[in-house]
Parts: sequence; C-alpha cells; structure tokens
Amino acid sequence: MKSDLLLSQPTNASHLRALFAIVRKDWKQYWRYPLNAVSTVFQPVIWLAPVYFMGKAFSVNGQALGFAQYSGTSDFMSFIILGAVLGNFINAVFWGMGYALKNDMDAGVMESNWLTPIPRLLILIGRSLTNLFVTAITSLGMLVVCGLIFGFRPTGDVWAAVGAIVPMLIGLYGFGFAFAAVVLRMREANTMVDMSAFLVQIFSGTDFPVTVLPKWLLPIALILPLTYGIDAARGLLLRTNTLLSIGLEVALLIVFMFLMLWLGSWIFYRVERRVRTLGTLGQH
Amino acid sequence: MATPTITLTGSLGRANVFTALRALGAVMKREWMIFLRYPSWVISLFIWPIIFPLSYVLTAQALSGRDGSGMAQFQAATGLHDYIGYIAIGTTIWMWQNVVLWNVGFSLRNEQLRGTLESNWLSPTWRFAYLLGSSAPQLLSMLMFLAVSAIEFALFLGVRFQGSLWLVLLTILAAIPSVYGLGFAFASVVITAKEANAFVFLVRGMVMIFCGITFPISILPGWMQPIAAWLPQTYIIDAMRSAALSTNGLSAIAGDLKILALFGLFWLTVGYLLFNWMERRARRTGAIGQY
Repeated sequence: MKSDLLLSQPTNASHLRALFAIVRKDWKQYWRYPLNAVSTVFQPVIWLAPVYFMGKAFSVNGQALGFAQYSGTSDFMSFIILGAVLGNFINAVFWGMGYALKNDMDAGVMESNWLTPIPRLLILIGRSLTNLFVTAITSLGMLVVCGLIFGFRPTGDVWAAVGAIVPMLIGLYGFGFAFAAVVLRMREANTMVDMSAFLVQIFSGTDFPVTVLPKWLLPIALILPLTYGIDAARGLLLRTNTLLSIGLEVALLIVFMFLMLWLGSWIFYRVERRVRTLGTLGQH
Repeated sequence: MATPTITLTGSLGRANVFTALRALGAVMKREWMIFLRYPSWVISLFIWPIIFPLSYVLTAQALSGRDGSGMAQFQAATGLHDYIGYIAIGTTIWMWQNVVLWNVGFSLRNEQLRGTLESNWLSPTWRFAYLLGSSAPQLLSMLMFLAVSAIEFALFLGVRFQGSLWLVLLTILAAIPSVYGLGFAFASVVITAKEANAFVFLVRGMVMIFCGITFPISILPGWMQPIAAWLPQTYIIDAMRSAALSTNGLSAIAGDLKILALFGLFWLTVGYLLFNWMERRARRTGAIGQY
C-alpha cells in the first residue's frame, strides 16, 4: 500500500506547540528544585559582602570618592549590584545554555529528541526562553535582596536601561547557541565553562569600571559587546560615565544581537552536522 | 575415613598498625593515580590563582581612585601598603578552604557514587584510612597551588613578599589541622546528608563574609566581629599576611599560631569523632549503600 501522507506534518503551528512543550518542561523542571532558585537569589549576597566591606575600607565618611573618579558615581554598591545582576545572565548562558544539550545527553533523552520532526535549533530556542524567564525572575529577586542589604539607588531611567539590556541579552543567548554546540562536541567542559564565564565577567566589567584594567588588557574588554551593554545600562540607570555615547553603545548592541543570532545558529548547525556524521550524539 | 576439621582461631585479616599503614598507603596511591589521570587540574593550577584575586584587586584599584585618594584610608585601616598582596593572600586562603570542602568533604560521597564504598568498607582495615588517604594527595596538590600562587602574585601582580619563608611555612603547618579537620567533619556529614552542596555554600560563604578576605575585620559591624573570632580562617589569613608581607617576625603571629593550634586540635577531634559516629550509624542503618 502506498500513501502520500506523512504521519507527522510539520507546520508553523506544530513548531509553536513543540516550543511551548519545551518551555513548559524546562519551567516545571526548574521549579521542581526551588532551593536552586533560593540559592541563586542569596548567593550574590555572599560574593558581594567582601566588596561591600572593602569599599568601606576605601571610603571617607561613607563616600567612595576614589571610585567616583573612574565611574562618575560614589555609589559603588549600586554600580556593582547592577553588574552582578547582569553577570547572573552571563552565568546562566554559560552554565544553563552551555550545558543544555549536554544535560539532555546525560539524561538519555538527547537522541530521541533529535529524532522528532522539528528544527533542532527550536530545542535550544525553547531552552533559551525558559532560561531567560527564570534568570530574569531570580535576578529581580537578587536585586531586591541585595538592595535591601547593601542599598541599591537607581537615579536614572529604568525603562531606557531595560531597552538597552534587551538586545544585549538576545545577542548573549545567540552566543549561547554556539556555546551549547561546542560543549556538546567537547562533552566534558566544566573547566572551560567555569573559567570562560569568570573571565567574561571580569573583562566586561561586572565588578568594576573597565577603565581600571591595565592598558594591555583593556582591548580585550573593548572587543566584548557585553562591556557596552553593562556600561550603557549603568549609564542610563545610575548616570555613570560611559565609554562611548549611550546611543552608539545601543547601536553596537543591536548589531551584536543580529550578528550573534546568525553566528550562533550557523555554528550550531555546523557542529550538529559534524556530531551526526561522527555518530557521537549518544556517546558520553 | 575421618573428615578433617579446620578450626579458625582468628580472623583471616589481622588488623594491626602495619596493615593500617599499608591500607593508608594504598588509598593514597590510588587517589594520586586518579588525580594524575585527569590532567585538567594543570590549567586550574595556573589560571585560578590569578583570575580569582584579580577581580577583587581591580575593584580595589577602582575604589582607590585615579589619584590614589582612597588608598590612604585603606592603609590607615590595615596598616599595610600592599593592598594587592593583602587581597591576594585573603582570597587564596578562601580558595584553599573551598577546594578542601569540595574535595575532602566529598571524597567518601564520590566513592559512594562510584559504587566502591561498600566493598571497601567490608575490608578488615582501619576505615579512617579512606578519608586520611584521600586527603594526602589533595594536601600535596594544594601545597603546589599555594606555591604557584605565590610565584604568580610576585610575577604578574607585583606583590613584594618582604616576610619570612619559614614563617609562611610555619603558618601553613599551623593551618593544616583546622582546614583539613573541618574537611573530615564535612565528609562525615556529607555521607549522612547525601546532597550537601548547601553546607559547602554556607561554610565558604561564612569565610567570605566574616574572615576578612579583602578587608580588615575592624570594618565589620560590632555584632559580626565575635563571629569572625570563632572562625580559624580569620587567624590563618591574619598570620599569613603578617608572615608573608611584613617584617614583624614571629612575635607578630605567635598569638594567631597558638589559637590555630587549639582550633586544629578541636576540628581534628570533631572530624574523627564525627567519622566514628557516621561509621557506627552507617553500619546500623545500612546508609553506606544508600544514595
């Protein structure tokens, strides 16, 4: 018997349903372990405490005047808390997105998911959406907790800052597509992920103004688009000095967003084809 | 024909000091082989000593200002001129304790996950040797880590070690019982509580907040300072800074060393007692084989 009908007919609607299923599955899985969320909210308090007390040791009458010479604000804690919140997204992309496919592989569902008639990038897009929502919620909690303990005093335009952050985050998740593929290829990449996340946070200036970096290290910071995203967000929310004009920084972020979405997808498909050719998809 | 009878008058394995030492040697050898089998630690050994303190050092540099105006305040608070060395030593001691909590603290748990703990537990040997033997290669790797850190601080961060090498070694020696005693206690708690990452976060968080890794304890609010006084890492950091960065000599660290000796005795005893308690409990409840 010959039939022209396929058992599954992929359409845009079926893709959307698959996307929704992936988001729902990840969402349920994340909140199944609520202590992780609590830990994400409270861990930064521990990391920020040494900076808070160190800042006091450098301050005169509670004013970090030295810090103001570099950043344009003596409110060093607001500067660093905002950096920590944005750094949270960097960590989420490196660990959450980087290990998205590897975790599927470890759970033994990678191969079966790969056989479903949906574009494979959709699996990563679904995971990015959940990762983004969850990180936004925990980051907001982190901002509230750190604000209550250390003090967070935004003086600028909140919505303009959010507008600058959005293209940076989309670009960052585009980079996550490529990174997830590389981790899938490498399999054991803990050391690489740990160090890369830490170095990217240092060089993009989550903890300090990048102008503090020695001249030979500053170019590394200046080629990272995240540096401009964090800088623009601070400029808009805390009225700090910025590296370039905020308009130019946002324009760079928009270019970065499109570039990373294209580059991330391209690298993902190349690595995916390579992994299929080698047949290592099911190997640990 | 009469059936020959065999009467056993003793156990097949006769445990004594020498067999315990042989078992300890075997565990140490195994752990060392596993350590060498995964050479990614080489990258960590060279990169982490620089990048972890670097983040705090650069923040301190920003806080001091372009004209160094914040620095005078910091010097008045710490009595030291070398803020880079001050931060580098504090963060290195934190990293040491952190690694011991993860490695020594989780050594029995990892063995449980590998499925070899139960069979090892059945062998007629001194069981504390499993924990002690796992710690020895870890201690050796940490001594390498401390040496590499010191060299890199001098080469890349420009830290000037004006103190005495002998006093630094004496401080490390005084610190080992506290740092590893805490690790032993932890290992027993972890094997009972299973998923105990939160405990590690709690202890290393306390060291980070209270022990002055980047700031003088006098900066802490009044209610926090007594807590700092009950943590051995406070004294390790203080003694190490004085031994490595100043020329004040033994008299400046003698008080810290005495307190560390007491802490060391306390934590080694707690570690050993907790291990024995866990061992008895595990035999009674069968917890060794549970995940």
